[in-house]
Amino acid sequence: MAKTTHRRLAALALSATLAGLPVSGLAEDLKLGLMAPATTLDPHFTNAGQNLALSAHFFDTLVTTDADGKFIPGLAESWKIIDDTTWEFRLREAQFSDGTPLTAEDVKWSINRPATIKSSTASLTIYTKAIAKMEIVDDRTLRVITEKPYPLLLPDLSNIAILSKKAADGLLTEDFRTGKGVVGTGPYELVSYDPENRVVMKANDDFWGGKPDWDNVELRFLPNDSARLSALLSGNVDAIENVPSTALASLRSNAAFSVEEKTSYRFVFLFLDSGRETTPGAMANDGSALDSNPLADVRVRQAINLAINRDAIAARLMEGLAHPTTNIVLKSMDGYVDALQPTYDPERAKELLAEAGYPEGFRLNFHATNNRLMNDAKVSQAVAQMLTRVGIRTTLDSVPFSVITTRYSQGEISSAMMSWPVPTSEASFPFRALIACADKERGWGLVNWGHYCNPELDAMMAEALTVMEPAKRADALEAAVAVIGAEMPIVPLYFQVSTWAARDGINIAARADERTSARIFSTSE
Amino acid sequence: MSHDAQNAMSLQTARSRRTQAAAKLVRAFVTSPAAVFGGVLLLGFLVLAALAPQLSPQNPYDLEALDLMDNMLPPGSELGTGVTALLGTDDQGRDLLSAILHGLRISIVVGVISVLISCIIGATVGIGCAYLGGWADTIAMRIVDLQLAFPTILIALMLLSVFGRGVDNVIIALVTVQWAYYARMMRGVALVELQKEYVDAAIAFGASRKRIVFRHLLPNCLPSLIVIATIHIANAISLEATMSFLGVGVPITEPSLGLLISNGFGYLLSGKYWIAMFPGIALLLLVFSINLVGDRLRDITDPHSGFEGQ
Repeated sequence: MAKTTHRRLAALALSATLAGLPVSGLAEDLKLGLMAPATTLDPHFTNAGQNLALSAHFFDTLVTTDADGKFIPGLAESWKIIDDTTWEFRLREAQFSDGTPLTAEDVKWSINRPATIKSSTASLTIYTKAIAKMEIVDDRTLRVITEKPYPLLLPDLSNIAILSKKAADGLLTEDFRTGKGVVGTGPYELVSYDPENRVVMKANDDFWGGKPDWDNVELRFLPNDSARLSALLSGNVDAIENVPSTALASLRSNAAFSVEEKTSYRFVFLFLDSGRETTPGAMANDGSALDSNPLADVRVRQAINLAINRDAIAARLMEGLAHPTTNIVLKSMDGYVDALQPTYDPERAKELLAEAGYPEGFRLNFHATNNRLMNDAKVSQAVAQMLTRVGIRTTLDSVPFSVITTRYSQGEISSAMMSWPVPTSEASFPFRALIACADKERGWGLVNWGHYCNPELDAMMAEALTVMEPAKRADALEAAVAVIGAEMPIVPLYFQVSTWAARDGINIAARADERTSARIFSTSE
Repeated sequence: MSHDAQNAMSLQTARSRRTQAAAKLVRAFVTSPAAVFGGVLLLGFLVLAALAPQLSPQNPYDLEALDLMDNMLPPGSELGTGVTALLGTDDQGRDLLSAILHGLRISIVVGVISVLISCIIGATVGIGCAYLGGWADTIAMRIVDLQLAFPTILIALMLLSVFGRGVDNVIIALVTVQWAYYARMMRGVALVELQKEYVDAAIAFGASRKRIVFRHLLPNCLPSLIVIATIHIANAISLEATMSFLGVGVPITEPSLGLLISNGFGYLLSGKYWIAMFPGIALLLLVFSINLVGDRLRDITDPHSGFEGQ
């Protein structure tokens, strides 16, 4: 079938050439339907997944990740650790799309640039602030010196795009909107950018990684699930990300399309307000106030952990697109504790509640998004159902993400379902954001909605983060995660599974980092 | 005959005309088989909605009664609790029959209450405007014009996004978008009535303003109001379903018909038709029956339809 089509196309190409007609339709083009619109072309403006995914078409980073989240050479062909705080990167021979060669000066300038962008609400400086200074050894060698021993330098640098200093020096984020400054070493060059709608690009034939798979690429932003699916089914786009889970089964059985999935590094979990003396959303069964905050009791948090049937959620609501967990990292990552396995035991949960002094349970207000995560409205209802069945009568407030953040800032959140990624492939990343004692100066606990604070655990993590030897660091992280498993400051539910679908004839290299770019698709010739 | 006596006669005929009209209305109504069918269907829905808690095998709003392990079962399956789900279950393991019965209740309550409140507000403003005239009339009617210029769904969506989910908020939103319509209509009807002789007669007899408005104007405007309101209950129910379908109506743990359809909509392609189809049929039949009854009522009372004077 495919062969005849190709033969027919070849015949058509021949006749078209003979007739002197343009044969543009036969170039290898890719149209991609994406979920979240990129907000800017400036790769250093905001730390948002969709923006970093877009910039990967035009720009490279020193270090990049493979499909599983392992760190591999990008623009740096190799690196070595000279001492605990000094890293030396050797750059590969590459040139920018305007023809100028890549130099250590460009890299140094690019790494310093995020700190010069003051208007960002999600600054990329979190990836550069560990760096104390940089020294240019020669045109292709750069030394990066960190303030303290810092093992997470590679993950951090994998987020910083390298720009051409010559092309982008002095430009503001607004200037990038017109395409100015979008001069990189990546596989594609910008043709046009229409915010909220589409980005058009063409192949950079001088790309250091060889000729790109596609001559022309068009990204279309289709946030609506059914619109994105229809675009694929009708042939308006060649491939899409985030296949609606309700359509997975029918798409899998359709030979005209291929579907790929991979467990992503994003996990969904419950915040429980354990840190405050009293919490507004927990009440006695008759609606009266409780003397103390039940969620402050570790037995109650463990009961909630045991009350949730994660396998049922994965199988019955997520169509298998969830990987149940009680860890905060995937098995392949540093800090994974084998002994922490999801257990569903509602009877034990009831016992624990009774031991904690709530034999009849209590009432709990539970917040969840309805526009942020895959099937969040459905999963949060199921969680509310499961908690209610062990005696915690749960009232669900299913609201848009912006409403949840407002309610949090007003102190109204007692429990909530949220998600967090693990881009560093180790446990300290989610720990520092979600579980560590809130400390603005240090940048720890910035999204600690449960107000949990355990200084000893913080010290364990801080200690682990100074260990430069990978195996020893992994051991130290595991010890800390074991404490998390016993304390349940947050209740991990599952890692999301990312999905992609493409028309037959396109290969998909599924990735753990949820970043969809033309780079993950290739023709299957 | 003196002028006064003539007026007294016309006052009397106005009263007897009302009782006669009511009897004629019933007679005219039953001559249409479609209207009778609609009426019986509507009556059936009202009984089902009223008895929903007694008839439902499961309380669909009690999270404790739901089990995720029972979700998306086809019609006729047995649940873990031993209950047979005649119409299947939804994605949360809710028995669809129970959910539809409770959903009917919400739909009817929301439709009737919102229309009732809108009617009261609308009639007050409309008759007030017609009777008072002048500045009050101009200002009130410009407000009505302004509101009618915006699409109903848009205003309702905006209000519910601000208020948040909840049956009470849905009712508030529906009243806000509907009252202007009744105000405009009632003003028109009242202006026509004001020109009639029996009002002149009442004035001539020295009746108080209050008496004229409540004993003469209002009763004579009511038939038109009732007819329009009946048809608009169906509109209100559809609007509630639309809001819930769009995710701004009732809370997701207490689904109405619109929300049930919305939940099942995503599963249509995967062959689990029952989640969206049965609530859809229920909503369709409910709106259909109200429209049949309402249309007939309108036909009978419309002077141009030929029933008048038969």
